[in-house]
Amino acid sequence: MNDRLAHDPRPTDRGAWRLVAMRDFRVRLRDKGFFISTGITLAVLTVFILLRAFGDEVTPSFDLGITGTDEVAIQRTTAGLDDVAEREGVELRVVVWDDVEEAEAAVRSGRLDAALVDDELVGDDAVPATLTQLVRNALIRVRITAALEAGGADPSEIDAVLNRPAIEVRTLEPEDPDREENAGIAFIAVLLAYGQLFGYGVWVATGVIEEKASRVVEILLSAIRPRQLLAGKIAGIGLLGIVQLAFIAAYAIGLSVVTGALDIPGTAIGIALVVLAWFVMGFAFYAGLFAVSGSLVSRMEELQNAMVPINLIIFISFFISIGALESPDSPLSVVASILPFSSALAMPVRIALGSATLQQIALSISLLVAGTALLVPLSARLYAGAVLKTGGRVKLRDAWRSAPATNGQG
Amino acid sequence: MLELTGLRRTFGDLVALDDVSFTVPEGCIVGFVGPNGAGKTTAMRIALGVLTPDAGAVRWRGEAVDARVRRRFGYMPEERGLYPKMRVLDQLVYLARLHGVAKADARRRAEETIEVLGVAERANDRVEALSLGNQQRVQLASALVHEPDLLVLDEPFSGLDPVGVDVLSGVLRRQAANHGVPVVFSSHQLELVERLCDSVVLIDRGRIVAQGTIGDLRARRERRLFLVQVRGGSDEWYGSIPGVGLVEVRTDGAVLELADDVDEQRVLDLARASGDVVRFGPVHPTLAELFREVVSA
Repeated sequence: MNDRLAHDPRPTDRGAWRLVAMRDFRVRLRDKGFFISTGITLAVLTVFILLRAFGDEVTPSFDLGITGTDEVAIQRTTAGLDDVAEREGVELRVVVWDDVEEAEAAVRSGRLDAALVDDELVGDDAVPATLTQLVRNALIRVRITAALEAGGADPSEIDAVLNRPAIEVRTLEPEDPDREENAGIAFIAVLLAYGQLFGYGVWVATGVIEEKASRVVEILLSAIRPRQLLAGKIAGIGLLGIVQLAFIAAYAIGLSVVTGALDIPGTAIGIALVVLAWFVMGFAFYAGLFAVSGSLVSRMEELQNAMVPINLIIFISFFISIGALESPDSPLSVVASILPFSSALAMPVRIALGSATLQQIALSISLLVAGTALLVPLSARLYAGAVLKTGGRVKLRDAWRSAPATNGQG
Repeated sequence: MLELTGLRRTFGDLVALDDVSFTVPEGCIVGFVGPNGAGKTTAMRIALGVLTPDAGAVRWRGEAVDARVRRRFGYMPEERGLYPKMRVLDQLVYLARLHGVAKADARRRAEETIEVLGVAERANDRVEALSLGNQQRVQLASALVHEPDLLVLDEPFSGLDPVGVDVLSGVLRRQAANHGVPVVFSSHQLELVERLCDSVVLIDRGRIVAQGTIGDLRARRERRLFLVQVRGGSDEWYGSIPGVGLVEVRTDGAVLELADDVDEQRVLDLARASGDVVRFGPVHPTLAELFREVVSA
């Protein structure tokens, strides 16, 4: 120990937060809970995406039995059914049965979705609405054709008239055709962002308590200032939250593209980026408050109570954001997407649904950033005043008063 | 040199420190002694900037202590604290880095420090897996790992076995003698303080009641005490001498207090007249005795 280290004569602690951040990032990356939570999230998303890819989106397909006394009528009806089914994009297999009872037995056993007996459509407990509509259209067409032909009309003219679309639909303000898909993505995104905001906020609070309970904080604060320690902790844990969120989003979008669950991955990537950006800002806004609630108590068991106000605010924001999926333009949704307490969750939803204006987005960001800038020094002072007080729960007023003076500390 | 001047600190109605001033010169080991709750920990926490005083100042080499200067201090708090799940070496490297040691040096310094403190073979164990004594050594390592300019140690010897005490004593002596590092530590093990420290600061109920070298403290003491053992004589031979009083009877003789105008040679003559004098000499009070006297006064 004779060769003394060559120290900078006046070393500052200005970069110390990076060291703190690196430690907090690494420690939690190796945490078992981190792996479990990531695994569960990925598993749930995988199931969801696979269901969407291979679940209900297949073309409807029906087996229809047909039977009756008039063979010509059966032939004409069958041709009409095939024609309409093809036109409406429905897969329809029409099978002719000799016997009504056999046809009904086949319906009962499930081999047939329904049987057409003369003018009667026979189903087991119910007939699918699409099939009923299809059969009705086909029968009307067959009857009209028959009537017109009997009147001497030219069959090709009849076809031309019947094949012309009955009505064209025109909307004054067309709904985004991708809206449903976007709302689905936004729902998953807001669910993830809520979990992330809450989970990583709690991690900041428990990280603060760990240092307080193990008393290592007194050693740390004899080396660096409270603000550096707080900033490092928030940055390290927040970075892990961003990395995890980005990883989950990339996985989900990748899987959706491979399985074809998403028609337009570009929009999903856009939404993911918006959610990430708002998560970063929202986390910065809330993390200081989580740290303060951790610094006020000395044991994990007391943390739950100390966090109630923050948890409540985040939960209400989440609730409003879910509502915004249905009505993104309601006054509540708009206000929630602008106020910094709730905008981290509500604004991404409104952006995803294309309902947020540029001015609203700009206002939302400004308020969130300004709120954070206001809250961080406030939290830092409360944290510094409370984190060295062990024993019972620290009152906010005492924490504020006993914060170390900042003069002379650079 | 570390200077504490006029420190005052209250917690509610309790006055923890009242006008506390003392200095720790370069290369000196100062023992900080006082009964439980006297204010030792409060003073040390203020010196490290962990606590702010209501009044008074802490100066280092003549300047007010700020965060940069403080970063070069080594501190062992009363409440021991390390990351329980972090490995010994990782922990020390991290703390060295927080204290501003460059990355390249931090690991080497951490390895050297645990070597010196005798916990090198536990480098890759988690702190919580160590015995309390070894945790204490790691705690000391965390105060030393960045080669501090000043050492402030709150009860560094408590919980150490005799070998640990010797190791730490050696480390503190080397820090002070070889590197000129001022060291101040609190302890209840007064023989140890007496052996190790260049000077002593005695605090009681928030006030400094005595300070100086042990010699100073003894010299400043007004009582003249003599230990006398007489074989074969009566026990009451001193009873009739004016200005001589009995303080206590010990197995190795009687401790007598002599008034200022009493000539000790005359007392010796009287002792010899009453029997064979086996022992006769001034009593140098131990630090523990000084402590008891000052604190109970």
